[in-house]
Amino acid sequence: MIDRNIRHVLIVLLGCFLLLFIQLNRVQVVDAESLRQHPANTRTVQRDFSRPRGIISTADGVVVARSVETDGPFELLREYPEGELYGHVAGYLSFNIGADGVERSFNDELVGRTPALQLSGLAGILGTEESTGQVVLTLRHDMQTAARDALGDQRGSVVMMDPRTGDILAMWSNPSFDPNRLSSHDGQSVNEAFVELVEADGNPLRGKAFRDIFFPGSTFKVVTGATAVESGIVRLDSPVFDVTTEYTPPLTSRPISNFGGNPCGGPLIDLLRQSCNTGFAFLGAELLGPERLSRQAQAFGFNIVPPLDIPGAVASRFPTDYGSEQRAPSVETPAGVFEDSPGLAQASIGQNEVAATPLQMALVAAAVANEGEIFAPRVVGEIKNSKGETVSTPNPQIWQQPISPATASEMRLAMLAVVENGSGARAQVADVEVGGKTGTAQLGTEPAQSHAWFIAFAGRPGFESELVIAVLVEATEENPDQTGGRAAAPIAQTLIEQYFAAS
Amino acid sequence: MRPRTVELGLLVLASIITVAAYGLTSLGRAASLPANIVPFLGIIVGLLLASHLVVRRWARHADGLLLPLAALLNGVGYVVIARLNPDLADSQSAWTFIGLAAFSVFLVAVPDVRPFERYRYTLALVGVVLLLLPLIPGLGVNINGARIWLRIGPFSIQPGEFAKIVLSMFLAGYLVEKRELLTAATRRLGPLNIPDLKHFGPLTLAWGIALIVMVAERDLGSSLLFFTLFIVMIYIATGRTAYVVLGLTLFAGGAYVAHESFGHVRQRVAIWFDPFEDPKGSGFQIVEAAFALADGGVTGTGLGLGTPGKIPFAATDMIFAAVGEELGLLGATAVLASFLLFVGAGFRVAMQAKSLFEKFLAAGITALLGFQAFVIIGGVLRVLPLTGVTLPFVSYGGSSLISNYIALAILVRISDRANRPDVLPSPSRIGVPSDEAVA
Repeated sequence: MIDRNIRHVLIVLLGCFLLLFIQLNRVQVVDAESLRQHPANTRTVQRDFSRPRGIISTADGVVVARSVETDGPFELLREYPEGELYGHVAGYLSFNIGADGVERSFNDELVGRTPALQLSGLAGILGTEESTGQVVLTLRHDMQTAARDALGDQRGSVVMMDPRTGDILAMWSNPSFDPNRLSSHDGQSVNEAFVELVEADGNPLRGKAFRDIFFPGSTFKVVTGATAVESGIVRLDSPVFDVTTEYTPPLTSRPISNFGGNPCGGPLIDLLRQSCNTGFAFLGAELLGPERLSRQAQAFGFNIVPPLDIPGAVASRFPTDYGSEQRAPSVETPAGVFEDSPGLAQASIGQNEVAATPLQMALVAAAVANEGEIFAPRVVGEIKNSKGETVSTPNPQIWQQPISPATASEMRLAMLAVVENGSGARAQVADVEVGGKTGTAQLGTEPAQSHAWFIAFAGRPGFESELVIAVLVEATEENPDQTGGRAAAPIAQTLIEQYFAAS
Repeated sequence: MRPRTVELGLLVLASIITVAAYGLTSLGRAASLPANIVPFLGIIVGLLLASHLVVRRWARHADGLLLPLAALLNGVGYVVIARLNPDLADSQSAWTFIGLAAFSVFLVAVPDVRPFERYRYTLALVGVVLLLLPLIPGLGVNINGARIWLRIGPFSIQPGEFAKIVLSMFLAGYLVEKRELLTAATRRLGPLNIPDLKHFGPLTLAWGIALIVMVAERDLGSSLLFFTLFIVMIYIATGRTAYVVLGLTLFAGGAYVAHESFGHVRQRVAIWFDPFEDPKGSGFQIVEAAFALADGGVTGTGLGLGTPGKIPFAATDMIFAAVGEELGLLGATAVLASFLLFVGAGFRVAMQAKSLFEKFLAAGITALLGFQAFVIIGGVLRVLPLTGVTLPFVSYGGSSLISNYIALAILVRISDRANRPDVLPSPSRIGVPSDEAVA
């Protein structure tokens, strides 16, 4: 009887140990990979810290990150010769902080842990060759430098991309940081630098081009316009919208007015050219409705994290809930009236809760420039082995197809008109076909300040566009009156000029 | 095969494993064998051989598995500790020496554990005093938030480790005396038959004091273990599920009250639910342990090739994670299996024991070690909230190691008497249950 009791206790203990064994398998086998990839896990980085590591270079061969031998506690020190210029893209490799950017997402390639690199290293397995890999960015040093210089001291971001591949040619946000400060072997100075950067004004550690969202303002009208054309409700030249100074959406008494209180109206091409708030607000709230606009915004990539090949990209935001239908569609309001139709009217002109990364707005321009197809944006285009031989060149991938080629072609004409004789005239470049859209997103009136935006595509006349640009100059109190047309369009103009002068 | 032959063979195996692991660790870290590998081998073999000879001379009928399993766990633990911190390893080798010495002295000095039964109430007092000692100002010290240490000269002692053994003895003796009364149902409480409350008096008192002290000393792990020990031993003595239900109910109530009243308990539970909420702060230990285990994977990083130094308390509470990192799922499973074998061997000793006192004592000590391993490994693996207790024989710690070896000596002693062919069954000295009554 007592022996039976002892056996019972033994069985309970057996059960307990079985539980331990099951959990052990979960931690060490089933969940092991996700634990290794967990952002708080610094083990992989630390283990790789003193291993040989390939260089990161730009598409035009400028070294962005390299390892140099030292006499310090570790044999190798990671160096970033270009300092803060590539801080947000190449990232850093830090013993105590971890890694970010390409250093993090292409860690396996850099230390040579991918099958392709190990295979290519097999030939030299008896020799002294390293199996490390080199990572070649899609970014061009001339464009990255030009983007930094064009933005100057102003806070903001510039994204330049080839719409035909998704290759990012430049991605710069000011302020940035010098990754050398975080890769030092002096743990304490690294920690101090990290704390300083985290607390610094303007958050220099965060690459705002892809990690922060801003009111897109009128640049979003490209999405609203494309939705209207794609749905067949509107064409470039018809219908003709009333010329007004104010538009009051249903269920509210607060009117939406135009920039400077000016009257505007006309067909869609004129609405875009003049960046006509009243026209687009009416178009979104009463002709398109919440469902169409939400669906189309998501097709452009809103509310989805873009598949950028470095960590931390955030989803842009387009609100999708406008409450229940209050009035059925009618001749006056074909889209019906919803609880938050006033919010929808705001969203249609890039206000309300709409917010986008500069990268996302470049992707909107890319859809128009590239016959409706958005390629997955990427900063890495090629992996080489330690001898400099190409190991892999990933094919560009189509990410979204928000609009048809026909719609893209119509919107293209409208955006060309914006630069030709509209709000984006300051982006004109001789002998280059430039289309664009300005945006001036007012953050408030006390004190008055606005983000200045410009998105554009550019190509040689008669050929496809080979460049898209998004420029964001962040709002400041010093410059409360800045507009997309005056502050951002000239930056795009400079960059387009330099791009075509170089090629 | 005769148990001593088995024991000798297994001890040689345990020595080989330990010394090989020690050498491999050094190879992994510095690509060279440690300078002291030969003396190291000599000391290990010498110590284990000496213990084996003591068993052969003074307890030659004892089970041959117990000592080798303890030696293996101790050896693996030592290798990991040496890899983490050479200074700790020096102390740990001293503790191992003292532990094996205590093991030997016990076997030489105590030919029979049954006399302890007579002093059960004295033992209860001793156990309670041992538990209370750290609360005396000037004598006890706080380490990592728990007040379970005595500072005597250069040494820190955890008297609670020894109290566990002493209280197991008290409980075994007490249950021999009260078994009949506790088994007889005299009252009904709902669906359960409950014996008269007066028979619970001393037991409840000991129980309550143990728990209060544990809460006052903020040693949740030991508190949990005492609770488990009481429940397990009462169940073994009476076979009454009612006690288990009652105990679990009391435990649930106590846990709830502790959770509501103590911030540190609440924090432990919150970490248990989601350590990743604050992976660099409160959840740091558990999260680093999980990362270490994940790094180990199935086969481990290899001895000396991982970074177990990143795990907080890697040599003591979290040592299982360090084992799992460098030896992988396979090595960690081997440790689990060793504990299971130990528990199986211990319970077999209990079943073979010839008197009730020895039976209860062997079962209690075995259950204590088994559940202690479960509580700390479960804490590391997040099966349970993490509470700081040592992994028996493996973790760094003098008090723990010495008391574990004394517990081992008790099991060996009981096993020896149980298997002695020439000893005729004799009634125990105070005349309670003869061996036949048990069988």
